[in-house]
Amino acid sequence: MLNFRFKKYFATFLFIFANSIGAEEVLITNANIYDGKSDDPFISNIYIKNGKIKNISNNLFDVENVIDASGMIVTPGFIATDTEIGIVEIGALSVTRDDRPSMYNIGFSVFDAFNPNSTLIPWNRANGITSAITLPKYSSSPIGGLGSFFDLDSNLNISGTKDMVMVGRVGGSSSGSRAETFALIEDLLDLAFSIDPRVVKSNAEIIKFMSEMPLVSHLDLQIRDIHALYKLANTDLPLIIESNRASDILKLIDLKNKYNLNLVIMGAQEATLVIEQLKDSDIPLIVNPINNIPNSFDELASNINASARLEDAGITLMFNAPRDHNYHLIRQGAGVAVANGMSYSGAIKALSSNVSKTFKLGSKGLIEEGASADLMIWNADPLEPSSMPIKVFINGIDTDLTTRSSRLRDRYTKNLDKPNIYR
Amino acid sequence: MKIIYIKHILSFVLIASLSQFISSENEPFKSTYFPMPYSKVLFQNANIFDGDGNKFLDTDLIIQDGKIVAIGKDLPKSNDIKVIDATNKWITPGIIDIHSHMGVYPAPSVRTSSDGNESTSPVTADVWAEHSIWVQDPQFALALKGGVTTFHVLPGSANLIGGRGVTAKNVQRNTINSMKFPDAPHSLKMACGENPKRVYGNRSQAPSTRMGNAAGYRKSWIKATSYLSRLEEYESKSEEAKEMGYKPQRDLELETLAGVLRGDILVHNHCYRADEMAVMIDIANEFGYEITAFHHAVEAYKIADLLADNNICAALWADWWGFKHEAYDMVQANVAIVDQARNGKGCAIVHSDSEIGIQHLNQEASKALAAGIRAGYDISEARAMKWITSNPAKAAGIYDVTGSLKVGKNADIVLWSGNPFSVYTLAEQVFIDGALAYDRDSGYEPASDFDLGILNPNKNRIEE
Repeated sequence: MLNFRFKKYFATFLFIFANSIGAEEVLITNANIYDGKSDDPFISNIYIKNGKIKNISNNLFDVENVIDASGMIVTPGFIATDTEIGIVEIGALSVTRDDRPSMYNIGFSVFDAFNPNSTLIPWNRANGITSAITLPKYSSSPIGGLGSFFDLDSNLNISGTKDMVMVGRVGGSSSGSRAETFALIEDLLDLAFSIDPRVVKSNAEIIKFMSEMPLVSHLDLQIRDIHALYKLANTDLPLIIESNRASDILKLIDLKNKYNLNLVIMGAQEATLVIEQLKDSDIPLIVNPINNIPNSFDELASNINASARLEDAGITLMFNAPRDHNYHLIRQGAGVAVANGMSYSGAIKALSSNVSKTFKLGSKGLIEEGASADLMIWNADPLEPSSMPIKVFINGIDTDLTTRSSRLRDRYTKNLDKPNIYR
Repeated sequence: MKIIYIKHILSFVLIASLSQFISSENEPFKSTYFPMPYSKVLFQNANIFDGDGNKFLDTDLIIQDGKIVAIGKDLPKSNDIKVIDATNKWITPGIIDIHSHMGVYPAPSVRTSSDGNESTSPVTADVWAEHSIWVQDPQFALALKGGVTTFHVLPGSANLIGGRGVTAKNVQRNTINSMKFPDAPHSLKMACGENPKRVYGNRSQAPSTRMGNAAGYRKSWIKATSYLSRLEEYESKSEEAKEMGYKPQRDLELETLAGVLRGDILVHNHCYRADEMAVMIDIANEFGYEITAFHHAVEAYKIADLLADNNICAALWADWWGFKHEAYDMVQANVAIVDQARNGKGCAIVHSDSEIGIQHLNQEASKALAAGIRAGYDISEARAMKWITSNPAKAAGIYDVTGSLKVGKNADIVLWSGNPFSVYTLAEQVFIDGALAYDRDSGYEPASDFDLGILNPNKNRIEE
């Protein structure tokens, strides 16, 4: 029973604080700021000290490092919501994948697999992503698997938040019925809400509890899974369910109301068909604004203007991109959303503060006094996919924007007189 | 026999896109494409990227009878002409995607119509992508709204030699023959690297290694060479000798490969790694065929000069990487480095291989251009426009009739709301052979049979 030792580890929300904090002071002047909350940008100076935004005003501070950002856009660091960053290096190479469990289900956490040296981290950072939520692949259970939040600062002392979200999925599949999936979700939620606080205090109690629950043996649940279910029922843990069909979304709204879940729906390709119900439900959505493909019979209503219509209805939106290395493409998706009717500031919020609010990430995704200094200075409009940040601050640190890719580029375009392996 | 001989000569005179010894009258799967109704249109005061590397500001363009008939300042306006004010708008040639699987991997993505890979044998030169295409694929219309007027559909990459690809006009019709681009050559899809060796290696059959891949191509070309020489020997005989002798038996696989050796079928080779592309160039030289384009070619920048020297295009993504080991060394400047090789002699293409990417090839080109500029190259937007217009047209063998805005060419035209290199710019109108195929303002757009009444019986799929 290996998991005995880890009991405490999983029983509580574990916050990991930023380990690397910029000690230096930086003053960014005359920046055109999209702060992640206002509808309109404003021009101001930003004073950064000890990893935090200390002051936003026209004041000048006597610091050595002054960056003139005149004519440049400054945004919060963008947060990718749905990634495999740190747990997958090469998609087709299973030996580099740590995204799926073989034994645990609901309590499977990706946190300990996170590799701060992954090449995906500098790559996505250099393209405008400062932090990410890393999610496991779906397990055999319709809900289960815990994702974590990470700063993309490449520091081996990881900073982030462990197990801050649970994932699930419901929809068409090649085996079984979605009716059974919904029933199973309800059974699991019933089980989760029936766990007495005293039960999770000792493994002996958990084992006793498990022996009384037929579902436990049927799903081969382990102690770790019971802890995760308890956490879901008792800590307001966000639950991301991937689902697309309009009727499934309505059923999920019912589940949210019945169990008072902190529910987020991801995919939501048919959300526009149930826009009124979603509006009343207060459920935030994670959508890929560039995906208008009716890729399954669950996604027939996929439409390029979905983001604009959902925003109009006041629904909180966040963006994702295919789970394939280029998570920064949420910027291009955001640009496409704006091209098709979404507001510019709404798109910026979807990349920053909406994520922070939904997943309780404190001041991440915001440019305000006291917030952690995660911000970027852009060479041009950040929603143009051709633009790049020229400065990326994470926790006040002016991060390195070199990537393995930029090294390869330079090797084949510079100092061509030398043999390439010596460049 | 005599009759066949005469017809055979005829087929040499005509453009022989099919195997030589099928009589042209019996030639199967001929294009029956005809343009939709067109009218005479004058676009006034447009900004134009002509697809050949030029930019013209505040310029007029006239299309008539399905062709471009005039480009210039202050062109005369006749009574019978429809005038479109294109002030502050941009006109480009219709976008061409050289790597699409629309129709063979249609939406919805379901097993019953996933018809892109005949992965039952590593060499399936006998199969033709056009025989898999589902003409009701709702993705065609989405690509049209992104300005795509022509697309080249390839078989997948499971096989060393995957079969013939086909070029189609983005005019959705009930038969593939009526979408086929008239007189466009077929292509042959070949694939390097991980995919074939994984698919067949997992079944403990050849190929299971890259050296197995190389041996597989060469064995096929040896058979094809021998077949072609038997065929040519027969063809060179006198009519009498022909009647006495035996015509080599038809063989679908070898007909396709012989078509490549004769130069009638263009090789499009899926290949990521630089070292493997170099191997493929050697194999092409060994057997005397040409490679038209390497597709995906994530490492093309490492051998950009070699590609330019061999007149091989590289069809590339702007930024995809990491899904496979052979796609690990991505640089965003790949397209630009290929383009600029040997003082700008390189042939770079931005392709999609994606039902989403095909709708935004202008944005993909924009990313590739920006990366090139960051890498220090002086590349204009007008030149970058070639990556999604004239260069793919050349690689598809249709540049003589489309891919750039030249008087006399087909009126395949996109009117954009602004500069097409911006994410905020949308295609407002798309013309194919001078016929309006999409009009954003009026909502004139195609809907496939699939789109009809599927969510709400009274509406099309995405109708609000």
